[in-house]
Amino acid sequence: MKWLELLNVAVATLVAAATVVTLYSLGVRLTAIAADAQQTSPGVKRSFAYLCFGLCGLAVLAGLYLIIPYFSK
Amino acid sequence: MVALVIALALFFDFTNGFHDTANAMATPIATGAIKPKTAVALAAVLNLVGAFLSTEVAKTVSGGIIREGSGGVQITPEIIFAGLMGAVLWNMITWLKGLPSSSSHALFGGLIGAAVVGAGFSSVNFESLVQKVILPAVFAPVIAGLAAYVCTRLAYALTARHDPETGTKLTQKRGGFRTGQVFTSSLVALAHGTNDAQKTMGIITLVLIAAGSQAPGSGPQLWVITACALAIAVGTYAGGWRIIRTMGSGLTEVKPAQGFAAETSTASAILASSHLGFALSTTQVASGSVIGSGMGRRGTTVRWNLVGKIALGWLFTLPAAGVVGALTALLVKTGAVGVLIAAVAGSAAVLFMFFYSRKSSVSHQNAVEVEEAGQAVRFAKKKARAEAKAKAKAEAQARADARANNTKENRR
Repeated sequence: MKWLELLNVAVATLVAAATVVTLYSLGVRLTAIAADAQQTSPGVKRSFAYLCFGLCGLAVLAGLYLIIPYFSK
Repeated sequence: MVALVIALALFFDFTNGFHDTANAMATPIATGAIKPKTAVALAAVLNLVGAFLSTEVAKTVSGGIIREGSGGVQITPEIIFAGLMGAVLWNMITWLKGLPSSSSHALFGGLIGAAVVGAGFSSVNFESLVQKVILPAVFAPVIAGLAAYVCTRLAYALTARHDPETGTKLTQKRGGFRTGQVFTSSLVALAHGTNDAQKTMGIITLVLIAAGSQAPGSGPQLWVITACALAIAVGTYAGGWRIIRTMGSGLTEVKPAQGFAAETSTASAILASSHLGFALSTTQVASGSVIGSGMGRRGTTVRWNLVGKIALGWLFTLPAAGVVGALTALLVKTGAVGVLIAAVAGSAAVLFMFFYSRKSSVSHQNAVEVEEAGQAVRFAKKKARAEAKAKAKAEAQARADARANNTKENRR
């Protein structure tokens, strides 16, 4: 039945969008913290921020990989 | 006849790209995250790439909705021509009147109307129509809106910064979202290519099947995919210049974080739907996201009557374009003269549209279709609220003064 597919779309949309936004927001927050004046280790936080951005990009690519039929065949 | 339909379909694709660039690229241009020229070129390239990604929606259009028929092919290129003409004419009417409408639904409506008149009710697969067009049309904007709401909440919650000791608000530093919007907008452009370019592919494939040059039930051929991808990319690029001119003329206030959340939701909803072959309107999904993300921000109220107006316009499109398609089909049925009249009327309409659009001044209202959805959410700004309060106070004061004066005069 198509209701199942509709549910599928809803869940996929929510999960994908939430993942991307969460990772990116964490990245933004960590960059903001690293830029604060009195920080003991801004370098570590900055690299964590880049890690978050990287993971976010990977999540997008993984999503596209799942969708493009060329790869799944 | 087949060549004529293909040309018309490609033109339809071109206008689609022409219209929808704004939806994807308006926000990053407005926030200054990306140069207009780069944004438009990027959108065009991504639309091109997106068109090659999947063919599920094209299969829905070519094989799902109109029955090719088991006992001989029922549908003819003439019927498809009538349907396309109906869609083009309806698009022109709504565009002139400034009604919110979806070109995708106009296309389906026109096609269905023409098929019913030309080949009878049995030629339309209503079950597939409900499942792959009508249900997604209702649910996709809601799903996208919900996702945008959740994501906006998430984005704001995760980046809210308070001083751990005093609890006062620190500078939020959400500038990173501005850069992020470049990527999310690109995703929206990509998603647009995967869904909208395929509708035209489906139509051309349907014509080829109807003309007997392709086996029923097969997917679009490579040259069809390439032609559609190019048409939508060129349309996107051409349409972009119109938007650049209008930029800076009062877009709805969208914060980068909010726009980021909305665009991510739009892109995921469209891509997920395209994957399952749901044909939906990108504009509607984007509108749903904009409203959803507006609700996710604090201190906003939704103008439900405006939302209702937009929704009504959506509901109206399919049957209305169906009627226009049916009328065109009646005309085409009369023979070669009818076809000629329809072709002339259609070309005249297209030409008129083209010249009118060059003549008329472009405002943000006709360039950005999502704009209306943005206005459906009212942001209660602190300053505006304070001003309103002050104004009310002043008025009350003035009234009190007037009353006092009146009583004084009465006493005299």
